[in-house]
Amino acid sequence: MPGVEIPIEKWTGKIKEVKLGGGKRKEIVLGGENTLPFLSFEGSVPHPPTVAIEIQDKEPAGWSPILLSAWGDAVKDPATWAKKAAEYGAEAISLRLVSAHPEMGDTGADVAKKTVDKVLSAVDLPLIVIGPGVAEKDNAVLVAVSEAAKGQRIAIGNCEEKNYRTVAAVCISDGHAAIAKSPLDINLAKQLNILLTDIGVPADSVIMDLDTGALGYGLEYALSIRERVRLAALGGDAMVSMPVLSHAGAEAWRQKEAKASQGMPPGWGSVEERGIIWEELTALTVLNAGSNIVTMMHPKSVERIKATIHKLMGKK
Amino acid sequence: MKLIAIGECIHIISKDVKAAVESRDKAFIQNLAKMQAEKGADYLDLNIGPQKKAGHEVMPWMVQTIQEVADLPLSLDTSNAAAIEAGLKVCKKTPLINSTDATEERLGAMMPLAAKYNANIIALTLAKGGIPTTADARVELATERTFTAAAQYGVPIENIWLDPLVLTVNGNQDQAQQTINAVRFFKQLADPPPKTTCGLSNVSNQCPPDLRPLLNRIFLIMMAGAGLDSAILDPLDFETMEAVRILDTRDDSTPKGKLYLGIYDAYAAMEQFDTSSVDMSDPELSNIAKTVNIMQNKTLYAHGYLKL
Repeated sequence: MPGVEIPIEKWTGKIKEVKLGGGKRKEIVLGGENTLPFLSFEGSVPHPPTVAIEIQDKEPAGWSPILLSAWGDAVKDPATWAKKAAEYGAEAISLRLVSAHPEMGDTGADVAKKTVDKVLSAVDLPLIVIGPGVAEKDNAVLVAVSEAAKGQRIAIGNCEEKNYRTVAAVCISDGHAAIAKSPLDINLAKQLNILLTDIGVPADSVIMDLDTGALGYGLEYALSIRERVRLAALGGDAMVSMPVLSHAGAEAWRQKEAKASQGMPPGWGSVEERGIIWEELTALTVLNAGSNIVTMMHPKSVERIKATIHKLMGKK
Repeated sequence: MKLIAIGECIHIISKDVKAAVESRDKAFIQNLAKMQAEKGADYLDLNIGPQKKAGHEVMPWMVQTIQEVADLPLSLDTSNAAAIEAGLKVCKKTPLINSTDATEERLGAMMPLAAKYNANIIALTLAKGGIPTTADARVELATERTFTAAAQYGVPIENIWLDPLVLTVNGNQDQAQQTINAVRFFKQLADPPPKTTCGLSNVSNQCPPDLRPLLNRIFLIMMAGAGLDSAILDPLDFETMEAVRILDTRDDSTPKGKLYLGIYDAYAAMEQFDTSSVDMSDPELSNIAKTVNIMQNKTLYAHGYLKL
C-alpha cells in the first residue's frame, strides 16, 4: 500500500500482568499490553485474551436447552464438566459456586472445598472460582476455596465495594488473585482497586470485573466503561491498569433472545444459532474493548471466539 | 472583582430549616442568616421548596424575618412563581430570583417577575431533552432561549445570572471543564455581559463528605478564573471563604495562596493549570494539585484519589 501511514499512538501506561496457575498447572498470563486491544502494530500485545469456560457446582436450573444439550450429563458433576470443557478448548475454568446460595441449596464451606479439590484434580487448567454473590456466603465458602487451592494460584471473586476484606485477605495469605467487581461504574472500579491495594493485595494480583451487559442489555455501557478504563490505564493511571475479566457467556445466556424457543417470535430465526451468536457477539464486543479474559458457556461460541482472537492477533 | 457569595444554608432540605419554616420559628432562621452574614455571605439564598399551598405566605415571612437581622440582598429560591412574587414585594434590596431554566414555561413564569420588580434572575441553561453536555450546548440555550425571553419580557441582560448547571465529578468528570468553558463563553455573549453563577456543591455530589469542601473550592477557583461572578456556596466553610478572600485580595503570602492564584491565573489566561511544579511533599498543596488533576480530567476520579 503506497503512501498509507498508519497513525501510531504512544502510550505511557501498560496493563499489569496477572499470572494464574503455574507449577504443575498450566499457566496463563493476563494483560501485559501497552496498546489498545489487538493493535499489535502499535505496541506490544504479549498475551492474547484468554477464553475460559464457565461451569457450575450444581446442575443448572433454567438454562437454555441448547446449552444443556451441548454439555449433556457433564452438568451433573463439576469434575466431569471441567474435563469436557478442557476438551472443548477451555484455556481456564471458571467455577461458579451456585449451590452455596441460600436459595439454591445453601451448601457450606465443606462442599465448596470438595468441589474445588475435585475440579483441580480433574484438569490442569488455571481456575477461577466465583462465590454465590451473597456477602456472608461468599465469605464463608471462598475462604475454604482459597485454602483448598493454596499454591495453585487461582482467581477468586467477587470482591465488591461493600464486601471485599475477607476475600482479599485470603487471596493475600494464600497467593491468589482477587477479582474486583464494580457495577459498570468507572469511578467505583478505581476506588475498589485503591481499597484492595491499600489493604495489601499486590497490584499484580487484582483482576477487574467491570460488569457486563449482554447484547441488547447494556452491552454499549460495558463497551464504553472498558474503553474508558483502558484509555485511562494506557494514559498512565496505574490504579486502573489491572486486566479485565468479563462474564460474557453468563450475561448472554441469561437473556430471552438466547433462551426463547424456535418460532417465538418467528422473525428471530434459528434457536440453535441464536444463543451462540448472542454469546459470541457479547464476548467479541468486550474483547474489542479490552477484556483480557472472557468466561463463556457454549462450546461452539468458544470455538468461534478462539478462532477470532487468533486472527485478531495476526496469526494464520 | 470579588466573587459574590450566595449563602446556601437556609435550605428546606435541612430538617431543622423545614421544622423552623413549619413552626414559623423566627429565631432559628434569623440565627442562620446572621451566621452566614458574619462569615462574609453577600446574598442569602432562601430555599423554601415548592410550597405549593402556602408559598405566597412562607416567602414573605422568610424575607421579612431575615431583613429584621441581616442587611443583605436575598435570593428567592423556589419553583413557585406566586411565592417568588410575594417575596419580591417585600424585599428591601434588589433581590435575586432563583431560578428559571430555559423552558418556555419557566421563562414565561419568571422573566415577567424579573422585569416587573427589576430583579436579578438566575437562569439555568437546562431545557427539556436532557442536561446539555457541552459548553456549546449551554451557550446555545442561553442565547436562543434565555436571551430571547429576556428581550421579550424586558429584562436587561446584565440582570441575568447564567448558571451552566454543574455536575458531579463522580460520574461526569469531563463536565467540570465543560461548565468552566460555558462560564467563559457566557461572559462574551453580550456587552454589558450577563452575570454568571452556579450551585457550587453540585460538583462534589455523591463524593465523601470529607472530600467535598476541597473539591468545591478548587472548582470555584477555576470557575472564578474563567469569569464566574458568583456562586451558591456554604459561607460557614472556612476554607471556601478563605479561597474567596485570597482571590479577592490576591494574597500570595502563603504557599496555598500562591497556588490558588496560580490556578486562577491559568484559567483567566484560558489555560489549564500544570501541577508539575507543585511541592508534593506538602500534604495541603499536594491535595490541591491532585484535586486540580481531577477537575482537569487528568486522573480518573475515585473516592480514594488523595491516597494515590
